[in-house]
Amino acid sequence: MIRLTIDDQEVSVPEGTTIVDAAAKLGIDVPIYCYHQSLGPLGACRMCLVQVEKMPKLATGCTTAVSEGMVVHTQGPEVEKGRKGVLEFLLINHPLDCPVCDKGGECYLQDYAFEYGPAKGRFQEPKIQKVKDGPINEFVLIDQERCVLCQRCVRFMSEYVGEEQLLLEGRGVETVVTTVEHEPATSQFTGNVIDLCPVGALLSAPYNHKGRPWNIDRQTTICPHCPVGCPSKMTTRESHIIRMEGRPVPDRDWGWLCDRGRFGYDFGYHPLRVLDSTVQGKSLSSAQAMRDTAQWMKETIREHGFGSIGVVMGGHFTAEEAYWIKKFAEEVVHTSEMATLRNVPGYLPISLNGTFEDIDQTDTVVFVGVDPYEAVPVVHLKLRDRIRHFPGLRVIGVGPRKLTSGTLPGIDYQVLGEDEAVVFAQALLLAKGDDPTVQMLGRNVADYPLPVDSETLKTLGETLLNATHLTMLWDGENPEMEQIFKALTILRQGRTAVLPSFGPVNWRGYEKAGIPVRYEDLRNLLMKARNGDIRMLVLWGADLLRDFPDRDLAREALEAVDYVVSAQIRPPLDLPYTDALLPVAAWGEVEGSYVNMEGRVAVAAAGVQPPAQSRPTKTYMVGWARLFQQTFGVEAEWDLFEDIEGDLIPRNADEEDMTPQPLKRPDPVEDPTQWRVIRGELVLENGIPSEILEPRISLFVGRIHPDEAQALHIPAEGGYVDVETSSGTITIGVRADESIPERTLWVPRSGHYEWIASLNGVKQLKRREEVKSL
Amino acid sequence: MLDGIKALAKGLGTTFKALGEPRDTIEYPEKRREYSPRFRGKHMLAKDADGHELCVGCGLCEAVCPAHAIRVVAAQAPEGSNVSWTNRYAVDYEVDLIRCIFCGMCEEACPTNAVRLTPFNELAAGDRLDMIADKEELLHPPVRK
Repeated sequence: MIRLTIDDQEVSVPEGTTIVDAAAKLGIDVPIYCYHQSLGPLGACRMCLVQVEKMPKLATGCTTAVSEGMVVHTQGPEVEKGRKGVLEFLLINHPLDCPVCDKGGECYLQDYAFEYGPAKGRFQEPKIQKVKDGPINEFVLIDQERCVLCQRCVRFMSEYVGEEQLLLEGRGVETVVTTVEHEPATSQFTGNVIDLCPVGALLSAPYNHKGRPWNIDRQTTICPHCPVGCPSKMTTRESHIIRMEGRPVPDRDWGWLCDRGRFGYDFGYHPLRVLDSTVQGKSLSSAQAMRDTAQWMKETIREHGFGSIGVVMGGHFTAEEAYWIKKFAEEVVHTSEMATLRNVPGYLPISLNGTFEDIDQTDTVVFVGVDPYEAVPVVHLKLRDRIRHFPGLRVIGVGPRKLTSGTLPGIDYQVLGEDEAVVFAQALLLAKGDDPTVQMLGRNVADYPLPVDSETLKTLGETLLNATHLTMLWDGENPEMEQIFKALTILRQGRTAVLPSFGPVNWRGYEKAGIPVRYEDLRNLLMKARNGDIRMLVLWGADLLRDFPDRDLAREALEAVDYVVSAQIRPPLDLPYTDALLPVAAWGEVEGSYVNMEGRVAVAAAGVQPPAQSRPTKTYMVGWARLFQQTFGVEAEWDLFEDIEGDLIPRNADEEDMTPQPLKRPDPVEDPTQWRVIRGELVLENGIPSEILEPRISLFVGRIHPDEAQALHIPAEGGYVDVETSSGTITIGVRADESIPERTLWVPRSGHYEWIASLNGVKQLKRREEVKSL
Repeated sequence: MLDGIKALAKGLGTTFKALGEPRDTIEYPEKRREYSPRFRGKHMLAKDADGHELCVGCGLCEAVCPAHAIRVVAAQAPEGSNVSWTNRYAVDYEVDLIRCIFCGMCEEACPTNAVRLTPFNELAAGDRLDMIADKEELLHPPVRK
């Protein structure tokens, strides 16, 4: 620790700390533009000038590291003169745009010019004219006249994200920030430069001219689009969400968001939003729809007894809502048939669940079937942060396609999704075959043929066992991986953490609320529905045909039951089987808790009113209970937060069975005449539709190997192909992707397209020249 | 009795004396009072010489308004239209004249000199909603007779 004096106050900070950070520790604010703690020092803007005794001139506080006995003055005539001069220079070519600038009112240039700047500029000459409102891409606008050339955006994109898409062009006063080759920036993280920009140079295009700091409301919330659940702020005006911003959490999160989270907030206002209660094809009042559906419930219970109603949770409801649904199911309609809509079969015990702190300390990270850039983008950024501080980070990808990338380089083991667990089992057998746990684990799969040679596998096994801090990201596609994680926890000395990237986003919250979340639970429920034991299905945000992989079972179950009541925010694919479609309030419209992939509880505040007839879940539950002549919701508030663990769900290993079971031998499913279809999460394009994101969403959602794309004469941006499947020919858009192996078709796991559900038994792809519309 | 007559005479005396004095009331609306040239009445939104709206919808008037009487919704000026002199304009501009205290701070805050308080003070309506002046109304200020 180093002791120094800043403005007559003593402070001790670790070695290597900059003066501004040391001052911040004392609560002394030093004005800064270019320095950002996540990006490190640069010293480009000269705004942070401070006086250090025994230094001949003013020093920049952001690039000067503290030293023992240093005496720093952040006030005083000399510093003030320095700051005045810097600000006068910055303002020479800065336009007097404040009334039309979106940053007005929350702008550091305004604040510092007011606090430290000269009252008048002496520069009389005309200001330099540059590009105004030029696009960086569909979401970000650049006003080059307002730029102070702090380079935060450029450095964020090139150093932090690792995608060099912004650069400084020109010399002297003509220097501007622009995109490489003047092409739109395609990164998923471009929106962060809006938060980073200290002035009004980089602006959000959807928010442009929509609000002012004094006529908006900000709510503390989390992003509901993927299981990362990034802390964010929701800007609302007149009961409309108009912006999302990152919310930094000290020592935990920098407040980065991906473009999906930052710009995909408008799903509540999408034209597809379910706004009317529709009962058997008729649009009814909310009250009448509740009466009708309650009548069906009574009828079902009367005729078929308790337990004849099945409840499936999906969507992105809060844990509290899940709890109310459970209470309602158990106490009002007396059923224990509940399940959560799952699109992958995996399940992770909470005691294996890691946190993002593991990413900050990890030395080896393994992607099991998941590409974090596409599925959980901010985890990718966290890994980038780790690799900047720890360049020796080992990245390993195990899955049906290449999972490491240029920004996170590493080794890939490309195997079928069914064989992922076998890879780990054989690797462990080769590296530590004498261990009884490993022998038991790999009992059935030791001789299973894999396309990876044993030497490489042995290296993998040794890496897994010897890593000091192992972090694994898992997409849940292969349920056998659960045994591997359990075995690794037993075998390894250091910490083993697993981060599950599968949805629904709040599945851990549903689990905590008491709703079963395993894939088998849903499967059993649907089997019972198909066999006639369950006569009524209540689908709360769940869209079985869109998300449940076993479509035939889902369809048969939906056909077999007497009534299907579906509460949705967008029309489900189940619609033809739905008897009552109820509009329900979404994220942003109700307050509640979400549990993210770390098992961390976060509260999302409500900022806007549910539109039209959509009602919060609790209104339905209370209303229905009243129609059952029961009171509801009078018990004490249910709280997710634990006294000891704070916002983390307790990792109670004692309550869970942590002994691994032998792996099952995968069935050889490979049919050489067929194309392999693999599915993956793509958070930018998947999920709830957003009009703002539409320009970015590619029509060519499918992906194939570049050689095959060339053979099919598919242009670089993508083209249409006819796909011959077992159930007829489907026309889809595909593009070339280097990460996809040959004879493989990659599609998003749950997209906006209905054909994704029926993509089975692909025999052949044929080029299609012209497609009018899909 | 005598006291009563005395009082009556005194009262009537005042009345007759006042008959000859100049009057303090005027016969509104046929006759109107003179106001100070700096009188602050109903708002208007000004245009420049080319007919562009001066208001850019910055919302400073909204921020400064002590009575929260102003609501501004801004937007990107439509491409090719000459509604605004810059790239931003106010789509909605509403002043709640019941809430307004006519302090003139909006006028003072306006960076483009678009909001001005006219001398027009004949504010009366049969409905509260009619007392909310919208942008169209403010762009066509009434003239005091």
